[in-house]
Amino acid sequence: MTRIDPLVHRVLDGELPSEVLTPAQRAELDRLERAGTLLADGPLTSVADRVMAEVRRPAPGVAQRLARWFAERHTITISVRPAWSLALAAVLAAIAIMPGRGPGLILSAEEGIAQFVGRFPGAKSVEVVGSFTDWRPGAVVLRDDDHDGVWRGVVVLPVGQHEYMFVVDGERWVTDPLAGRFVDDGFGRQNALLIVRPVPR
Amino acid sequence: MNPTGVLSSAGREPSDAEIVARVLAGDAEAFGLIIRRYEAGLLRYATRLLGSADAAADAVAEGLVRAYRHLASCRDTGRLKSWLYRIIGNRCRSHLARRSASDMSLDDIPPLADPGDTEAATERADQLASVERALNTLSAEKREAFLLKHVEGLSYEEMAAATGERIPTLKMRVHRARAALLEALKEAP
Repeated sequence: MTRIDPLVHRVLDGELPSEVLTPAQRAELDRLERAGTLLADGPLTSVADRVMAEVRRPAPGVAQRLARWFAERHTITISVRPAWSLALAAVLAAIAIMPGRGPGLILSAEEGIAQFVGRFPGAKSVEVVGSFTDWRPGAVVLRDDDHDGVWRGVVVLPVGQHEYMFVVDGERWVTDPLAGRFVDDGFGRQNALLIVRPVPR
Repeated sequence: MNPTGVLSSAGREPSDAEIVARVLAGDAEAFGLIIRRYEAGLLRYATRLLGSADAAADAVAEGLVRAYRHLASCRDTGRLKSWLYRIIGNRCRSHLARRSASDMSLDDIPPLADPGDTEAATERADQLASVERALNTLSAEKREAFLLKHVEGLSYEEMAAATGERIPTLKMRVHRARAALLEALKEAP
């Protein structure tokens, strides 16, 4: 591995003038600066029209939003206190294994229950995005009804392996430290891994 | 008279905070000023991260629409630039997460510059291709750090706001990225 003299780093960081460098160090500096300059070329396209068209589009009315909501598939989120979550899971499981008892939440053999819990004191919003939401926000929103900084949500998901992350305040992506299993997200960070098993029958 | 609204009443370019205030007050067209100010850098950054100009355009368009809709949540409008890079970085991460490794070949990045016909331009395009190949040998973290520092010109403070990482971590990452890039450039044909 090439070792760069600390002086070169300090010049590149704007802490020292380039005059302090030897010719060999100056050559390294020039090569790195040239790389940055070359990579700064472009771009050839613009998304301004596309973005402004969306910005100018009037917000849909209530009726439109309702119609769209009913037309799309949704993950239903149920927020419960921790003490009740196991009981709720048991109730849901019981409903799932009692056919013919009238309308209710019926879990198929391909569905299971997942509970998400994260501690984010001071957060204004916390949601879960993952492979099961196609990495789009807005489907699994957690709640902190008692304002203790612990955000929770229970969802029904397809049985199998899912990747997910918390999104705090709409922008900050946080890996669930309690997940136990992780996979590389291809960007040097890790997604939490969740394995959903079918409700016992 | 200033029909385009580009300049402020004082005859200077409005600050980010002033533009944000106008948008939040209901002047949606003012968001175009934000796009014009930051679009080029964001597209360049996303293209280098994703290895696809089309995917980058999608990520930047989605990110900017999201930024518009959540503009009120940008608590420090003086740091709008970092906030936008953070949003676009997150969109790029979503794109990468959705895309299987088999779809992705960073070696296929098209050159952003149009090489034209001149000998000098052709040589420049060759140099750019060589640098791109070297860049693509870096890990995603190092690539991101080098791009933010040396292509987008962000300060370490801005990088920290854009990535959520600590400044010492970013400094170390940039230093390692420089060494790795220089090594890869030495090995380049």
